[in-house]
Amino acid sequence: MTGTLSLLRFMLRRERAGLPWWLLGATLLVLVQSTQSQNLYGSPEALQRLRQTIGGNTAVIAMNGPPRLLESIGGEVVFEIFAFVAIVVALMSMFLIGRHTRAEEETGRAELIRSARVGRHAPLAAALALAVLANLAVGVLVVATAAGTGLPVTGSLLFGAAMAGVGIVFAALTAAAAQVFENVRAVYGTVGLVLGAAYVLRAAGDVGSGALSWASPIGWGQRTFPYAGDRWWPLLLPLAASALLTTAAVALLQHRDFGAGLVPSRPGRAQAAASLRNAYALAWRLQRGSLIGWAAGLGLLGVAYGSIADTIEQFIRDNPEIAEFLPGGAADVVDAYLALTVGMAALIAAAYGVASALRIRAEETSGRAEPVLATATSRLTWLAGHLSVALVGTALVLLAFGLGEGAAYGLIISDAGQVPRLAGVALTYLPAVWLVIAVVVVALGWAPRPSAALGWVTVGYCAVVTLFADSFGLPEWVQRASPFAHTPQVPLADLALTPLIVIVGLAAAAMGAGYAGLRRRDVGY
Amino acid sequence: MTTSTEAISIAALSKSFGGAKALDGLDLSVAAGEVHGFLGPNGSGKTTTIRVLLGLLRPDAGRVRMLGGDPWRDAVALHRRLAYVPGDVTLWPGISGGEVIDLLGRMRGGLDRHRRDELLERFDLDPRKKARTYSKGNRQKVALIAALASDAELLLLDEPTSGLDPLMESVFQQCIQEVKLQGRTVLLSSHILAEVEALCDRVSIIRLGRTVESGTLAELRHLTRTAIAVQTTQPLTALDGLPGVHDVLIEDHHARFDVDTAQLDTVIRRLAPLGVRSLTSTPPTLEELFLRHYGDEQTADGKAAS
Repeated sequence: MTGTLSLLRFMLRRERAGLPWWLLGATLLVLVQSTQSQNLYGSPEALQRLRQTIGGNTAVIAMNGPPRLLESIGGEVVFEIFAFVAIVVALMSMFLIGRHTRAEEETGRAELIRSARVGRHAPLAAALALAVLANLAVGVLVVATAAGTGLPVTGSLLFGAAMAGVGIVFAALTAAAAQVFENVRAVYGTVGLVLGAAYVLRAAGDVGSGALSWASPIGWGQRTFPYAGDRWWPLLLPLAASALLTTAAVALLQHRDFGAGLVPSRPGRAQAAASLRNAYALAWRLQRGSLIGWAAGLGLLGVAYGSIADTIEQFIRDNPEIAEFLPGGAADVVDAYLALTVGMAALIAAAYGVASALRIRAEETSGRAEPVLATATSRLTWLAGHLSVALVGTALVLLAFGLGEGAAYGLIISDAGQVPRLAGVALTYLPAVWLVIAVVVVALGWAPRPSAALGWVTVGYCAVVTLFADSFGLPEWVQRASPFAHTPQVPLADLALTPLIVIVGLAAAAMGAGYAGLRRRDVGY
Repeated sequence: MTTSTEAISIAALSKSFGGAKALDGLDLSVAAGEVHGFLGPNGSGKTTTIRVLLGLLRPDAGRVRMLGGDPWRDAVALHRRLAYVPGDVTLWPGISGGEVIDLLGRMRGGLDRHRRDELLERFDLDPRKKARTYSKGNRQKVALIAALASDAELLLLDEPTSGLDPLMESVFQQCIQEVKLQGRTVLLSSHILAEVEALCDRVSIIRLGRTVESGTLAELRHLTRTAIAVQTTQPLTALDGLPGVHDVLIEDHHARFDVDTAQLDTVIRRLAPLGVRSLTSTPPTLEELFLRHYGDEQTADGKAAS
């Protein structure tokens, strides 16, 4: 443990540019939601009306959380925003731990650190301390924001504590995963998958009996019911889970060599396969693992959402009086739900697309692009190789979601036609996703250094507009800047081809412009 | 055609990154078929020059020709005819060394399967290991084998042996001698002076982005001092004040001093009447040549800093 404190100081210094943005993002989400909700549903009558509409809308429950939270206005805020802030906080914790443990080992920087007077456990301990501090900061900021906007203090304290709890669980989980896998990409993939499962499990639980929610760290947090009963004991669950995962991480660390994982890497081929012969083959070879992971993850998410869709239909059948208030009846409710879930999946696909396109920059800065560009590979071919993975990969990922959702929903309602239908629905979002990728390509050509920031800000912007445009009351022009807002909300709305063609045209033009920039600039800087 | 005589010709090349000048009017001429040593202290612009030759960087000013083409405009066509070994080899962690060698060779336009296997043997590299498990030296070997297994007419090698052990260093030297016999051209940036002395026909020394010396080793030696130790029958008196004589140490009939190689003849003529009993003359080593410029660099840095 020697050196933990100085390592922690060093890590805080390295995080000074990134961490504040995560904290700011989480705080802003709570701030905007709290003020907006109190504006809209501040009176007991308004809240009562909301309870009646939402209480019967399974889609909204699946997206947000248990309806019991709607007892008070504070609970309403938690209902709307908890799951999303929890995802932000979980991702923050995952990246904090991954960056400072396995990524450091992989690059060899940790070797330099460990050769100094630094104990075997110090880097892990310092990274965990860093994550705990960051999550405590999130907690304090949530409490301050919620109480500062006029919500009861006790509930706010519980809200903040529950949020920090989710973050700490994912930090400890990442710490354990970082001991198992030899490269940080696999660590992020696994933790991301668990995070997705946590979100889906609580959705299934909240719609159903509630039992499945107890299998999800996000569910534990929501089931403290801040402002709606203030139950403190579920906080013990994240504490116990983090302690357990940390113990596992330490035990694994003690039994492995530096740089190694649980499974030693197998030897590769002595000769390249005949197909590995150009920049396209190389790009697909490099990215196939992560593509399979994302496609599998989104396919499972589709299956999960698809199986819930039927519950909604049943609910409407059981309560025909609710269907009377809906213009299109039960069918429309299901379609609205399907449109909503596909929109969510499209945002995840856009995140995948950005991550894939940013590989181009990583190849360049790591120096791996240099030997390739020193062969008879042109810059266009090199760019197109990686871009082909991003463009085709996002289509495959969306298709996986549509097939998963269609298969699950179709199986339950015995309608095989749902498979091609929902696959088509998912692919409607492809142009919008491509336009987000095109933003990264423009950045690669003209502003390579901030390309990662620009790409992720674009995804974040689209996510905020898609998920919160109504509850935040964002102005019209802000919404219209997102390509997702111009994508027809099939199957609820009719398919309109014109906007899709325009978006594809824009994306193609932007990619062309990006290439024009890449062609004339220095490579490697 | 110019290609038959000059493989690389650079005149007054300049390149800046932001405010920092990496190359400041560099000249370089490499004849076809020669092994050309490219020397200079760290940060003097060797890697930047090679990246310009690869068309990765666009020159700010100056004229660059390589194999009869423009490295920036004709990059792809020229790259079919050259092979490159970077100074700091980074590979894809999940791909084996053998796969990297084959892939780079195929992307260049084919590689000699026979020579590839022979080189793997000679450099003693296990091609099945994933790149993430290779040491620096082994990564270097992967890049070297990929370059040497090609039949490229020009090899651009940026400190290619920096991670190799002495045994592998000698294998590398053999390989370059073979390349030389085949009439191919090599631009060898290096810090290992023994290697440069053993391999290179001509050398260019650069400093602060500018060429300071260029020529055959014999020509360069001519520009420096030879160390002389002499013993005479008569007292050594006539040495002081002679042009080109430096650092004189006289002890009765013994003397040690350095003389500008250009003045060597005059000095020996002056010594002869004194009755030379023994005389040793040590030509300057490349190290001394080098240190002279490195030393200048430190002075130049000092001036710039003050």
